[in-house]
Amino acid sequence: MLVERDTMDLATLESGSELFSRRITMTGDAVAGYLAAVEDDGDAYALEGVVPPMAVAALVMAEALKAIELPAGAVHTGQELGFLAAVDVGAEVQCTAKVVQNSVRRGTRFVALEITADVGDERALTGRVSLAIPEEEE
Amino acid sequence: MATPEVLQEISHKVTQAQLARYADASGDHNPLHLDEEFAAGTPYGRTIAHGMLVLAFVSETMAKSFGRAWMCEGKMKAKFRAPVYPGDTVTTSGTLKSTSDATATYEIVVRKQDGSDVVTVDATVPIPV
Repeated sequence: MLVERDTMDLATLESGSELFSRRITMTGDAVAGYLAAVEDDGDAYALEGVVPPMAVAALVMAEALKAIELPAGAVHTGQELGFLAAVDVGAEVQCTAKVVQNSVRRGTRFVALEITADVGDERALTGRVSLAIPEEEE
Repeated sequence: MATPEVLQEISHKVTQAQLARYADASGDHNPLHLDEEFAAGTPYGRTIAHGMLVLAFVSETMAKSFGRAWMCEGKMKAKFRAPVYPGDTVTTSGTLKSTSDATATYEIVVRKQDGSDVVTVDATVPIPV
């Protein structure tokens, strides 16, 4: 199931709902901009000739969070990431995010998203983000 | 490469300008991180750093210590415990928590200048053979 990327109502998103699927190119400029933003000298990545895996994760996460348009009180409570393969500068990365949990308990909505990034047939990154979102009072 | 007991500490002073740069680089323009007026109306009362920016500091620590092993086979499990505000200086430190035959797990803590924890992370890398 692929949900349209424009504004989505969190309350209607069932577990398994795909938030987006798109290709992102990890250009040299994008990597340089990321490293400058996080104030990392980038030596470790330059030595290996790979994209910082957190740069890939950040782009996928940003797309996922844009897709669900979080309300002001949302809290990013947890994050799991697994780096599975190197991503070369200039590579096209196929990114996805889907809902794996969406439940309400005691006035708080708990949402978990699963993210992936693949290069060709190889999975380069997996992750899970946990969000707690206060439900609006009736 | 040996498995160090303690990882090199890295500190960063987070600024509003950095949040703007990170927003541009990542595409995460949530006003909670960028718009003072908007953020004033949230439970945080002011802008806060992107959680993924703070995790970038964790990854920097691991990448500097373990290089490609981290970049291609690393895993992290993070809990966000408190927000980081512009003006905060955060320091990332790591200690060896456990080892198995194939991996080492480090407890990484990101602390503010007042000693409070903002993020705690279990970070796992393969042990070089």
